[in-house]
Amino acid sequence: MADIKSMIAEFEEIALNPAKSAAKLKKESGKKLIGMFPYHLPEEIVYAAGMLPVGMWGGQTDFKLSNKYLQSFCCSLIKANVEFGMNGAYKGILDGVIMAAYCDTLKCICEDWKVAVVEPTGMPLIAMYYPQNRKIAAAVPYMQAEFEKAQAQLEAISGKKVTEADLEAAWTVYEAYRAECRKFVKLVAKMPATLNATKRHLILKAGWFMDKKAYTEKLAALNAAIEAAPAEAFKGKKVLVEGIIVEPIALLDAFVENDVCIVADDVAQQSRMFRIEGRKAGTVYEKMAYRIVDAYADPLLLDEKKEHGEELIKMAKEAGADGVVVCAMKFCDPEEYDYPIFKKQLEAAGIPVLYMEIEQQMASVEQYKTRIQAFAETLA
Amino acid sequence: MYFLGIDIGSSSSKCVIIDENKNIVGRAVKNIGTGTNGPSVVIGEALAKAGITEEQIDFTVATGYGRANHTQADKQITEISCHGKGVAHLVPGARTIIDIGGQDAKVIKLSETGNVDNFVMNEKCAAGTGRFLEVMARILNCELSELSELAKKSTEEVEISNTCTVFAESEVISQLAQGTKREDVAMGANHSITSRVAGLARRIGITPIVVMTGGVAINDSVVHSMEEQIGYDITVAPDPQACGALGAALFALESFNKKNN
Repeated sequence: MADIKSMIAEFEEIALNPAKSAAKLKKESGKKLIGMFPYHLPEEIVYAAGMLPVGMWGGQTDFKLSNKYLQSFCCSLIKANVEFGMNGAYKGILDGVIMAAYCDTLKCICEDWKVAVVEPTGMPLIAMYYPQNRKIAAAVPYMQAEFEKAQAQLEAISGKKVTEADLEAAWTVYEAYRAECRKFVKLVAKMPATLNATKRHLILKAGWFMDKKAYTEKLAALNAAIEAAPAEAFKGKKVLVEGIIVEPIALLDAFVENDVCIVADDVAQQSRMFRIEGRKAGTVYEKMAYRIVDAYADPLLLDEKKEHGEELIKMAKEAGADGVVVCAMKFCDPEEYDYPIFKKQLEAAGIPVLYMEIEQQMASVEQYKTRIQAFAETLA
Repeated sequence: MYFLGIDIGSSSSKCVIIDENKNIVGRAVKNIGTGTNGPSVVIGEALAKAGITEEQIDFTVATGYGRANHTQADKQITEISCHGKGVAHLVPGARTIIDIGGQDAKVIKLSETGNVDNFVMNEKCAAGTGRFLEVMARILNCELSELSELAKKSTEEVEISNTCTVFAESEVISQLAQGTKREDVAMGANHSITSRVAGLARRIGITPIVVMTGGVAINDSVVHSMEEQIGYDITVAPDPQACGALGAALFALESFNKKNN
């Protein structure tokens, strides 16, 4: 148990201090770091080019400079990234940034970033465009071409030519990382107190600021320790959370204070990034493209059949969740379009739903504490 | 045996003491809330009315915004569950509760058996809450308690924004500057708050019997306006401001019995 706690503490330290962790990673690895905007981006190419990808998942800041480009009705997550880009927080840490136009805010920022950050700092931007119609035959070769374009730009930053062998090695690292994450999220239900909502989040978040190979080894050790430990008794409630991110930390602490364990997630920063197992056949770029084709229940990727609700019901049932907590990022259109549809489906399936509209930089979470506690009381 | 429920809200403190037969033996309300001496004052007044001392209380449940700070409580339960409990006790068959307090508004859906099925709360904004009416009363230069009577004298409909209290304040000042009557503005303020909360209610679905609780339910012209907005008759809970405290006291009785059986 002491081992598990010390392993968790290491992940916590990294995830709670992203800037410090990224700077340390850069110094210790001697490698260049590439910032990855949300959401699905080709991290494998960065890795194959001898650099390390790090997550850009906003953070706690006041919006001062970013207001020049983003109005108050824009998503706080992307706005925080723009603020950090403009106020120099990434300077000396990131050697480049990759982003893709997954939503209306990101579409604008792909262009604004060039003026707001690239021009004054010289930090290169690799802007990518994923296909809306990701299931049609042309989608895979189109994505391959996008990957090739990104590869050339990344090679220019790293000064290293990427070979097919480099890509295969990177793909293996990432498939192992994703498999270990999938294993971890399933193990949480075994130790709901030790792996409470806050700790679960920080363990997964740490992966965004570490070399994925090193992270996977540490996570595998934690998974093995959890498997060997006795199951914890738990009298609280179990929920599935849905959303883009579940932050600030005070919001997660509200789950912990009310004995609510997150036994499964449908969160962009977490499971949506690793729940798809890659195909075995084809080149690495084909396999990477098929991860987008095969993705399901993801509001950022076109879902013609509107299967998000059915998938949520399946996920909640498999995880034994008592209810679903929707942490809707304020002003996130893709999430907002899906919600009315899956809300009806969840209610029809008899699964209680709590809807909370959140912002990453909420100064007070008192009202959210009441909502989470009241939801837990209704599940009693 | 005695059971105490204390509801520490953002702008008022409420206390109810019941005996083992659920009879209310003490009750007090003070219009000062969390972070003040309101909670200790109402507990003192309710104990005095019941003719008992604090030592005679067998179980205490705290609810409301300041519930976590009341460390003397044996248990803390949200105001959502407590309003549900209080209303189910006072108005059997109630299915929808509209609770407008000083800082937030909630709509609670009760099951046929009186348990909380679902709920919605306003976002972090004063529009659609008691705070909005306080701002309106100040601009209209009257007491909050006079707002209802003032609105009843209205002869012409005036529309006031329900989106933002700060915008509404400027809007009202400009209405008054243009010569709009105070009475009409008071009624416009009522419509503004009720249209906002009615939207919240429609989100969760409205099933009769509809009950209103919270301090704003004392304002009968707001209640009538709410009836027009939702298209259902509204029953105002007896002593609507203390409904959450009563629910807390009922939970205290239940918790005590559970603990000792």
